[in-house]
Amino acid sequence: MKLRVDIRKTLRARDRAFMLEARFTTEDDRVVVFGASGSGKSVTMQCIAGLISPDEGIIQVGDRVLFDSGAGIDLPPQVRRVGYLFQDFALFPHLNVEDNVGFALRRGACGRMDAVQRQAVHDLLRLFEIEGLSRNFPWQLSGGQRQRVALARALILQPEIMLLDEPLSALDPLLRGRVRAELVALQERFDVPMMVITHDPADVETMAETILVYSHGKVARQVRASRFAQEGALGRADIGGILTAAYVDGP
Amino acid sequence: MLGSAVVPLLLTLKVAGFATLLALVMGVAVAFVLARHDFPGRDLLDAVCTLPLVMPPTVLGYYLVVLIGRRGWIGEWLWETFGITLMFTWQGAVFAAAIVAFPLVFKAARAAFEGVDRQLESAARTLGVSEWGVFFRVTFPLAWRGVLAGTMLAFARAMGEFGATLMVAGNIPGRTQTLSLAVYDAVQAGHDDLANFLVLLTSVVCVAILFGSGKLLKPRY
Repeated sequence: MKLRVDIRKTLRARDRAFMLEARFTTEDDRVVVFGASGSGKSVTMQCIAGLISPDEGIIQVGDRVLFDSGAGIDLPPQVRRVGYLFQDFALFPHLNVEDNVGFALRRGACGRMDAVQRQAVHDLLRLFEIEGLSRNFPWQLSGGQRQRVALARALILQPEIMLLDEPLSALDPLLRGRVRAELVALQERFDVPMMVITHDPADVETMAETILVYSHGKVARQVRASRFAQEGALGRADIGGILTAAYVDGP
Repeated sequence: MLGSAVVPLLLTLKVAGFATLLALVMGVAVAFVLARHDFPGRDLLDAVCTLPLVMPPTVLGYYLVVLIGRRGWIGEWLWETFGITLMFTWQGAVFAAAIVAFPLVFKAARAAFEGVDRQLESAARTLGVSEWGVFFRVTFPLAWRGVLAGTMLAFARAMGEFGATLMVAGNIPGRTQTLSLAVYDAVQAGHDDLANFLVLLTSVVCVAILFGSGKLLKPRY
């Protein structure tokens, strides 16, 4: 699926200003965004989800235009069909697992889920192997379980793209390798394009089809990872070099 | 003795109940706007909303007379248009008590709303839930304990309201004489038994309310 982002946004916090100027287009289904903290990765993601409005530019997912300052289009986050996995998962602490996952299905202030919706929730819980936890509350879950709940919650509306903000940083290092493989499998199974923010070169290696290297609010490099495997021209060391450079180089 | 306590007690509960309801609706609305939106003059508005907490109730009562008195800004319009006035009525007492109790709801609600992780609201939005849905299904369920604790304090404060009520509604037995005014009257008239009873009654209700609101404020998640 095509993802086109060409946006500018100036963020001000007291006396400091941050300029984001993100421009990239990709057809790949697994885009990994890599870069130092404060380089604009999260802001870009929040712009795609509609949680922040860019000052100007275009955001397009597939053939849907989500934002176009020229045409005056700025869809609210509610209708963008963008799944978002927050860094600390942002599960609703007052709802159990079943109600968290079914949150998007319920309508109205106190509407209940009907049998069909409940079934949809349980199918998804079974897929994520957390069906036994449906009555548990978020504080009773481990980090890995919370992540599964958050993924299931975001996937239940069948979003057109999934945005994952550092999905592995809140997990135990021993769990990360397994979860990486699971995320790749999940992307293939749901056939949903995925954009993943990371600080970890290992994530880039296992998950990326396209790598976006952010530096100082700009996309400094865009590299197709599949090329490495096919042509064998660039090896692991080269990826490492590109990633290290991201921390050293300025724009 | 019991008979002369029941009338002011019922009136007090009625006045404090309506006043708390009024303070709750206004306090929650203003607190939500101030907690979630930044605009010029926000700090000034916060200060004005907190003012009734620190101003002498008589000063506040005077302001209210200026506002809703028969020749006041709102009072004159009410009198000319509908032929009603809030002065020396129990509704006037409600109004006075609501203003005095308002900052307690407002302060507690603002702190409670600011304590709700905004990321949870963002998450709800990406899940397609409307802004009203975000408020009623995420923000309020996570903030209601703080709001309720403030509301209980507001009720206790409204029950004990004296100065502003006296200025606006007077001290008419059976119509606007609430418990705290009845205590004053009883002491002045030398009815020590009645005064003792009324004081004890007021104290018990207030202690019970403070105890309850303290329990609600304990963290849950």
